[in-house]
Amino acid sequence: MARIEGMHLTPLGGGDVLLEPGEGLDPGDPDAYTEPLLAWLQGQRARRLIYDIGNVALVDRLYYAWLLRLERLCRLADVELVVVNMRPVAAFALARALDGPPPFSCALDVDRARSRPPRRPAADAPHAGPAGSR
Amino acid sequence: MAKGAKKRTAKAKAQPRPVHKLLIELLMLNAGRISEVIEREGQEIFGQANLLSNEEITDYSLEFLELFASLLHAGERIDRRGPEYRALREFFNGFSRRIRARGASLDEFVRYIQFLQRVFLENLDASEDVSFEDARAVIILLGSLFNDIILDIFHIYLEEKERTIQAQQEELRQTSAPVTEIWDGVLTLPIIGSLDSSRAMTVMERLLARIERDRAKAVVMDVTGVSSIDTQVSHHLVQMIRAISLMGAEPILTGIRPDIARSLTSLNIDLGRVTTRSTLAEGLKEAFRRLGVHVGAGDAAA
Repeated sequence: MARIEGMHLTPLGGGDVLLEPGEGLDPGDPDAYTEPLLAWLQGQRARRLIYDIGNVALVDRLYYAWLLRLERLCRLADVELVVVNMRPVAAFALARALDGPPPFSCALDVDRARSRPPRRPAADAPHAGPAGSR
Repeated sequence: MAKGAKKRTAKAKAQPRPVHKLLIELLMLNAGRISEVIEREGQEIFGQANLLSNEEITDYSLEFLELFASLLHAGERIDRRGPEYRALREFFNGFSRRIRARGASLDEFVRYIQFLQRVFLENLDASEDVSFEDARAVIILLGSLFNDIILDIFHIYLEEKERTIQAQQEELRQTSAPVTEIWDGVLTLPIIGSLDSSRAMTVMERLLARIERDRAKAVVMDVTGVSSIDTQVSHHLVQMIRAISLMGAEPILTGIRPDIARSLTSLNIDLGRVTTRSTLAEGLKEAFRRLGVHVGAGDAAA
């Protein structure tokens, strides 16, 4: 298990990596994470980043912007971002706030995310940019 | 001079007596008759419709007379906060509740209250030593007392009705969009009627909780029963589909009728990458296909 300030990273095998955000994660400062995270993912030859959002009670605009940034970063590294364990309350609030579908995939839990066939985000999500363009 | 003295005597005689004492006298002198008339009328109103038994009518009549007498004994002015008035109000409240529970309408209750008032007035009319002022004071007192009771009961009745309507609306909300697990990991949500904001939120909350609880992989939303679609409804639909995806389940939209499809296109609503199927059956087939479940005509001979 590796640790970048504010997040736990666990290689799960088969190119899958689990990211568990900790309390120290500051979604308002994505620049602090992009470089070390990308370096770590490339070092692991990661194909899929599974982001466990179960500890996040509410996904507000700031947090969503962080996820978008992370998705862009993953796309650059040819890594698929899959968000898992989103709570019903968070999904409810986020669905009401979004103007378009999110560019990342979602799965109910880590097992479901791992059982999905690998997908190339760039090919599957032509409108993978930030939501808001209608 | 003698004429003037006579007038003064008549005026002195006409001094109104305390109204509560007058009514107590009336009750004491005519208790048997009043009680009998009240019972008879009670049987007329409630007995014929089998709302109350004869024993119940007798008990209620006696209890009413007792409570009314203690209210009069409490003093000349009726204290609306006093225990006697509250007891009488409670009595009528319980009485109206019981008869309504047995199918009576509020009309029957009001008719009964008006009748009680009339009984006293008729007896008042029969007594010779009651002056015009006395009679007027009695009418005012009875009128205000019984009107207050009718109003009280009416308010209680309205509150109960309101609660019933709310409960029915809630029940309708629950039953008009039932979330059912039709297969392991497959939920169906048939939406019937209109989809306003409050209902959409309720349905969405329940649906997302079910996705989490049942670990659903696919949700088939059937809109065959949606009466019409406007910007708001389509917006709610899109939000629901998006929320399902965010939870990690696959949304499948079915039953889009031609008129709904026309509305969606004219409203410029893009359902994006949502899987759609013409019927609920087709939607279920698609959900099963994604789960790797094969559904087909089996060997029914066994």
